[in-house]
Amino acid sequence: MRANPSQPPDGLEACYLANRERLLRFLRARGAGEDAEDLLQELWVRISSKPTGPIASPVSYLFRAADLAMIDRFRSTQQASKRERAWAETASGAEGVSDAPSAERIVTGRQYALLAAAALDALGPRVAAVFRRHRIDGVPQRAVAEEFGVSLSTVESDLRQAYRALLTVKERIDEA
Amino acid sequence: MTGDDRMHDDAIAWAVRTNDPAFEDWEGFTAWLEADPAHARAYDAVNAGVSELVEADLPPPAQNDFEPASAPVRRPSRWLAVAASVALVAGFSYVGWRGQSQVITTEAGEVRNIALSDGTQVTLSGGSELRLARNDDRSATLERGQALFTVRHDSANPFVVHAAGQQFVDAGTVFDVALAGEAVTVAVSEGLVVANPKGRAQRIEPGQQLRVAKRSAYRLSSIATDRVGEWREGRLTFDDAPLSFVASELTRSTGIAFKAAPAVASRPISGSILVSPIRSDPAAVADLLGVTVRRDGQQWIIDRP
Repeated sequence: MRANPSQPPDGLEACYLANRERLLRFLRARGAGEDAEDLLQELWVRISSKPTGPIASPVSYLFRAADLAMIDRFRSTQQASKRERAWAETASGAEGVSDAPSAERIVTGRQYALLAAAALDALGPRVAAVFRRHRIDGVPQRAVAEEFGVSLSTVESDLRQAYRALLTVKERIDEA
Repeated sequence: MTGDDRMHDDAIAWAVRTNDPAFEDWEGFTAWLEADPAHARAYDAVNAGVSELVEADLPPPAQNDFEPASAPVRRPSRWLAVAASVALVAGFSYVGWRGQSQVITTEAGEVRNIALSDGTQVTLSGGSELRLARNDDRSATLERGQALFTVRHDSANPFVVHAAGQQFVDAGTVFDVALAGEAVTVAVSEGLVVANPKGRAQRIEPGQQLRVAKRSAYRLSSIATDRVGEWREGRLTFDDAPLSFVASELTRSTGIAFKAAPAVASRPISGSILVSPIRSDPAAVADLLGVTVRRDGQQWIIDRP
């Protein structure tokens, strides 16, 4: 708690101030453009108003938060346009007959999951297991490497393979 | 490798790295992003695409955290469902065998993907039953319902589908097999299928479908290849099909019981129907088919207008 603003800023704030330019550069490159300043401001308000435990690597923490904010921003724009598209389809397919059903409608829930699981499993048991351990159980890559008795670069390469396969599934679904 | 492929691969590599809590190289990542504005878009697409598939598998947190342990599980986690079904599929050769064959069934309204050990893919429609023989990974028997086969072709050892006492042999193929009573219809979208090669052999080429019933003549007709297996995409197309058949197909694909009243059972219907609007509103069938629909207990009765 800092009751007195004239006190020196704490670790995270000092880090934020020292790295503001770098963070702005990152946000701009990340696609924020002119919104970079506003985004960073908002981000900092959100971070600083929330109590945090000790942060091992504050610089990384801030960059990660900025990256996640951009990921959220991308996904919410994407969802908005998806909703518009779904609406357009509902409107044009009002008769329920004809008009290709959208990918979202076709491959829902379980089917989607089945396709993804099949694509993962096709890569072999280790790649699939490494991916699940890291992305679903949330185990850090270094720990996954230890669990499986492989190097970190093997884990990274397994994950790249898994990502690539999943993205191919998604592409196929989106084109359906 | 084209520039786009290269960028896609780089985006994947960065997405893998930044997703790890130990990632520190934000400077290097910024430099890559700054090299081309398209890099950020590629990275976003990778992240969003992978997350979407990961999240499709995760159980909704509300059911996870707040349901008392004793409550019946209304909807099992999708991930568990996948794991179970994948385990079943992966376990073909070791477990789950009863007698000489493995039987896979689907409930009405369910669709299931099955990967056979030879690389062949089968998508089993709702209300269907597929039997696989223990010692033969190059054949399958459709006992009920409908299935789309994407066969890994091997001309020395062709894949054979048995249905309604008939045999269909692939020659490099994507084809759909649908049972309706004693009759079976095989529609081909890719490659070639030969019906009953040892008997009344008949080639079925892409864009053709063959209807066979016991002791009756073959009926070969044409079908747009993109219509083959379209039920997977939630669409049913009927071509002069009796309403009784339409009702049973709707039941099989939605899991909602439809029945045609005797007065209209044989009335022919042509047209294409999207399944999902009907699943959410069974009464919508009325306007689609120009009939009336009334609810009778668990059933929806299709009757004359």
